[in-house]
Amino acid sequence: MKSKLLALAALVLAGCGKPAAPVTQEPSKPSAEATAPPVVAAAEPKRLSIFCWSEYIPQSVIDAFSDETGIKVSVENYASNEEMLAKLMAGGGSYDLIQPSEYVVEGLIGENALQPINHAQIPNLSNIAPQFVNMPFDPGNKFTVPYMAGTVGIVVNTELVTDPITGFSDVFQEKYKGNIVVLDDAREIVTWAFKTLGIPPNEMTDENMALAKPVLEKWLPLIKVYDSDSPKTALLNGDVAIGVVWGGEGAILLNTDKKFQWVLPKEGTHLFVDSLAIPKGAKHPNNAMQFMNYILRPEVSKAISDEFPYLNPNREARALLSEEARQNSASFPPEEVVGRMILFKDIGGQASKVDEMVTSLKAQ
Amino acid sequence: MSAVASPFLPRLPRLFRRMHGGKLQRWLFGGWTILVFAFLYIPIGLLVLFSFNESRLNIQWEGFSLRWYGELMHNRTLLVAFQNSMIVAVATTILATLLGTAGAWMLYRYRFPFRQSIGLLIFIPMVIPEVLMGASLLAQFVHLMHLPLGHFTLIIAHTTFSFPFVLVGVQARLEGLDPALEEAAMDLGAAPMRAFREVVLPYLLPAIIAGALMAFTLSLDEYIVSVFTSGAASQTLPLKVYGMARVGLNPQLNALSAIFIFATVLLVLGSQLVTRKKTP
Amino acid sequence: MAATGQNESDFFRRAPGPLAWLVLAPLAAWLFLFVIVPTGMLVVLSFAEQRGLGTIHYTWTLANYERAFQWTWLKVLGISVWFAVLTTVICMVIGYPVAYFIGRSSPRMRNILITLVMIPFWTSFLIRTYAWITILSKEGLVNAFLIAAKIVPEPVALMYTPFASVLGLVYNYLPFMILPIYTSVERLDGAMIEAAHDLGAGPLRAFSKVIIPLTSPGIAAGVLLVFVPSIAMFAITNLMGGGSQPTIGDVIYKQFTSGRNQPFGAALGTILLAIFVLALWLTKKYRKA
Repeated sequence: MKSKLLALAALVLAGCGKPAAPVTQEPSKPSAEATAPPVVAAAEPKRLSIFCWSEYIPQSVIDAFSDETGIKVSVENYASNEEMLAKLMAGGGSYDLIQPSEYVVEGLIGENALQPINHAQIPNLSNIAPQFVNMPFDPGNKFTVPYMAGTVGIVVNTELVTDPITGFSDVFQEKYKGNIVVLDDAREIVTWAFKTLGIPPNEMTDENMALAKPVLEKWLPLIKVYDSDSPKTALLNGDVAIGVVWGGEGAILLNTDKKFQWVLPKEGTHLFVDSLAIPKGAKHPNNAMQFMNYILRPEVSKAISDEFPYLNPNREARALLSEEARQNSASFPPEEVVGRMILFKDIGGQASKVDEMVTSLKAQ
Repeated sequence: MSAVASPFLPRLPRLFRRMHGGKLQRWLFGGWTILVFAFLYIPIGLLVLFSFNESRLNIQWEGFSLRWYGELMHNRTLLVAFQNSMIVAVATTILATLLGTAGAWMLYRYRFPFRQSIGLLIFIPMVIPEVLMGASLLAQFVHLMHLPLGHFTLIIAHTTFSFPFVLVGVQARLEGLDPALEEAAMDLGAAPMRAFREVVLPYLLPAIIAGALMAFTLSLDEYIVSVFTSGAASQTLPLKVYGMARVGLNPQLNALSAIFIFATVLLVLGSQLVTRKKTP
Repeated sequence: MAATGQNESDFFRRAPGPLAWLVLAPLAAWLFLFVIVPTGMLVVLSFAEQRGLGTIHYTWTLANYERAFQWTWLKVLGISVWFAVLTTVICMVIGYPVAYFIGRSSPRMRNILITLVMIPFWTSFLIRTYAWITILSKEGLVNAFLIAAKIVPEPVALMYTPFASVLGLVYNYLPFMILPIYTSVERLDGAMIEAAHDLGAGPLRAFSKVIIPLTSPGIAAGVLLVFVPSIAMFAITNLMGGGSQPTIGDVIYKQFTSGRNQPFGAALGTILLAIFVLALWLTKKYRKA
């Protein structure tokens, strides 16, 4: 215990104050093709600072990486993209790796806040299934490497609900009042309403929001729980019978009890993709790229999937998964459905209005 | 105990009539206290129970197991986070208690410019929503003071929102202080400093201890302010724990809490037993 | 409020000597650096605009305040205050007898008991809240008992209700009511209380006319330490209440996350601060009169 304390103190003192020896690397402007920035001549100190979602990168993976490369990894966590943005923009920490979702990547690229990655240093990128490379939010993967993807779908407790549920309109019925859990995400909820009205989810205009309002006025009083962190809790405890939740949550529920059924809404749903990226000003970009390459290894990616049953974009890793894991419909929707899913785009200032609309409806 | 029967209880059985007043109160209140302690400790008992649950998701009991305790011992991340929480909490407690007590005394005893305003300002850290405090302190640390984020900034932040709790508690106790007491001590030749140390401080001790307990508790569980003001090396337990709900709270946490609870209860009981041995 | 009230000690209040200034200086510095300046930055932020992903454009616009004074937010604030009031009153009623019992116990028992009050809160907030969920859920302990005892035919929805929210709030804030009251009770003179009883006052009257007034500073402190922080508390109401009733703390927090409008959050916070400081100042004036 005491040696740990001393080691900790040493780490703190070492980390405070002076930054690590500066690495000379020209921040190159993103060019038309994915050209590599100049490879650094001087060696980087063996450090890596990761800023990621809590519990999204298993500690075992990080430890194994450290053991293999000798790079000391420090991890800071956040519980939402916006929390990450708030701290990143405030300039408090100096991070080498962040884990933004697709719409945030778009915004960060727009603000010139990311460093380009060198594909020569990340050969394992070829393990990613083709449909997850070159995605609209980061053409050519100039800045990001996909980590995990997922969808939002419906979970039904078939012991409590016997009627078939096929989509959002089936969920939000009067007879299920007080029996529903949804994500505590205003944009998500409005998007579902859009889907039932046939409005494209990324067109978050005032007019469209006004169209969605009466739908929400009908839906919100039926909802018992809003929870983005662990919506499975309410379902597992039997306090609600239906949930509109993340794919990963659904997968966990399916693995826990066969009474849970996963339904992809017929009105359509969206795909989210979480990626790894290097913020501008990162002190150890090469170590960061080494880590990116590491987690793209099939066996490492499989290890991540074992702990977090989201949609693994790594084709080679998926081949290593158990049959049962691959059959989990919440983790892996059918290929053609995934192809049709929409990706969220950044809606800028409209986010504030969306939030206000949902909050005021909740408060009624 | 006076045996005078209260005129208010003529019809109650003899036992009660003799137990009226202080003793009746004692039994009633004692019983109530037991109920409240049950209320406080039942969830704790449950979470300790679940630390022995074989299953990872704490929904069903699936058999007795010590595996989480074993895994906890190897979970460097959690243990380091716990250590950080302790370091920060202890430092915060010391600082907050000093600040709060000194502040309460200053406001009580002395006239100085802006005394009234300061009396109001100290409430700001209590009222202000944590996210605002966190964000503003982050800006203060990074942009104005150019401090690196780490244990130091965490402790400052935690101290800032917990010292008002100590201050209010000590102030309440000061209201009952007979000012003549201090004056008398000084009339008898003691310097103000000595009068404070030997008369006021012992009087304030229960409030100071209560304040310290509150500051420690507040710091231990703080999440939002910690998000904004911590660095990579100073991640506290709540920071690591908060996102864990996504994959189900790891029962290792239950094990950690169970160990800590037992350790502190033993410490408290033990320290009191030691004092008992000292009294002749 | 009991806080910095004027009492007869005003007569004894004196100018600080050099030693006192030595103590006062770091206190004032701390207040300035870590309370006044950050609050000032917050107020400045409330007049700004947020663009795009999180960049703040510093102007002087009243847009955030205009928006803040809409009915939605006032209603949300009102509900938060109502929950805070409920929590404070219930904590007072539940906590006073406990504080009294502990305060009047022997010195050794006192220290043990008062620490034991706090110890449950040295567990991780999330796991003890999840323990409550296990107790209150439809498949949880309480319902299991109610059904086994044939009190109800079907599980009662206890979780994700205002009842659960208030229960969670009371649970987490109870020690902050008990501790200050305890410090007031502890200093009560035993002889005084015996005298009150011996003089014929029934237990009820001795209590209400003598003991409660004597412990009022502690009660007032407890009220402050529960009411004030619980207004902006939202984690408990979200977890236990299901989040269907937005609270002001949640709204402000969301401005820093999905709402993407930090200046608006700052404006709401500034209004909250202003209301509170005003209320405190008025109460002090009232007490002086």
